[in-house]
Amino acid sequence: MDVNIIYNVEHEMPLGVPIATYFYLTGLSAGSFIISTLAYGFGMLKFKPLGKIGVVMATCLLIIAPMILLIDLEQPFRFWHLIMYLRITSPITWGTFLLSLYPMNCMVYGYFMFKGDLKRTKIFGLIGIPLALLVHGYTGFILALGKARVLWNTAIMPPIFLVSAMVSGLAMMILVVIIKDFIIQRGKEPNRDLIYALGKFLVASIVLDLILIGIDLSVLLTSTTEAYRAALMLLSGQFSFLFVGVELLLGAIVPLFLFLSPFTRRWVPAYALASVLVMVGIFAMRCIMVIGGLSIPLS
Amino acid sequence: MQKENGSRKRYAMVVDLRRCIGCHSCAVACKSENRVPLGVFRSWVKIIEKGKYPNITRHFLPTLCNQCDHPPCVINCPVQATWKREDGIVIIDEHRCIGCKYCLASCPYNARYINPLMPIVQKCYFCHHRVYAGLEPACVEACPARARTFGDLNDPEAEITKLISKHPFQMLKPEMGTFPKVYYIAADLDAMDPFAGRKEWT
Repeated sequence: MDVNIIYNVEHEMPLGVPIATYFYLTGLSAGSFIISTLAYGFGMLKFKPLGKIGVVMATCLLIIAPMILLIDLEQPFRFWHLIMYLRITSPITWGTFLLSLYPMNCMVYGYFMFKGDLKRTKIFGLIGIPLALLVHGYTGFILALGKARVLWNTAIMPPIFLVSAMVSGLAMMILVVIIKDFIIQRGKEPNRDLIYALGKFLVASIVLDLILIGIDLSVLLTSTTEAYRAALMLLSGQFSFLFVGVELLLGAIVPLFLFLSPFTRRWVPAYALASVLVMVGIFAMRCIMVIGGLSIPLS
Repeated sequence: MQKENGSRKRYAMVVDLRRCIGCHSCAVACKSENRVPLGVFRSWVKIIEKGKYPNITRHFLPTLCNQCDHPPCVINCPVQATWKREDGIVIIDEHRCIGCKYCLASCPYNARYINPLMPIVQKCYFCHHRVYAGLEPACVEACPARARTFGDLNDPEAEITKLISKHPFQMLKPEMGTFPKVYYIAADLDAMDPFAGRKEWT
């Protein structure tokens, strides 16, 4: 039937690119922390050169990220209400504590690492892993518990966020190693083994990420009408360029090809290009989730 | 708060769309009563037109905060700036709100907005200041067709209880599990569907 909307009110979109950036930065931080603990927590000595860089990056990113949250508040000077009047059912409250505990743990872990106290480094590294997972898992919960938005309100949102955090963190670490070994310390013998090992992890994470996105999409497509329309918005609607073009093609398929094809799998510039593409793709994913989820009409 | 004879109030609103004439008086009354700034609305009338000439009708859907029994905004507010009162009204403490906008993102009814003049979240609260003084909400009083009825669902003699028990009624998005306290009589399904009439979505 012909239906035309004559008059309706839509309020301004509440969250936007700052929140997507915040999700992106926490993801990078959690990813680089976990890579840092590979050597010092789990004893994978291959990754030892990444331990110190990883923890410094994780701490710095996690100091910038909550600043973006504060700026995005309408009343930034009331931030202390988050601790004074907390409501435990809100995922933002969980975030308040996680975002304070996690950087503190990062600093302690980094302090012992730079001091050379390997035993305590290991302890704080192992404490930090659940914290890093929670810090990023809770951002998935923020979206998953916003039940008005059909694109967010799925149980798979926290795992997708965790896996994409690993993807972006590994890509950033590859870039860090390349910049450190090939540009800053040009005379030194570059650490190719490390880059190839990180590449393998990255391939596995991208594949897992693609599987989770596939699960999410197939459930959306067969669920309620609203969910079906949200899935169509991603596949053929207003976000199809960002989703299919940037997130899936540039951010996952092209990097997978670069990592796996026999011509480029041992060529470091291809790794650099693939890592940049992966990082762009994950940022696009965060923007699609936040802005795309909010652009579905409610009234 | 207002406990009388030990029984609790349970405020609700019925919008009888057989009576609604789509005059927007409720929206205007709400704006002037609550000093709602330009560009945002606590209560508005969605109007759709459907059919092909000469078989064509207009349908109205006065929209406001549904004062849910299980409000997602209250569950998700990190600073207890919004809560459900004993009488069923969901209210905001404007001095406590930090403006994180998570409640805007979790409201399924698009009822909340950021005040452009004073960066704070606001919404309809059944004109609680008027209800407290024994009056009806401004939109109810202003409605020339008497389409809106406000009252206490726990009072068996109230007009709203009689309307709800006698007539088939609808509510917005029952699948969200929010148990809204705004009931519609004879509401049109296409007016209640956010996607109907949006060419880019269907």
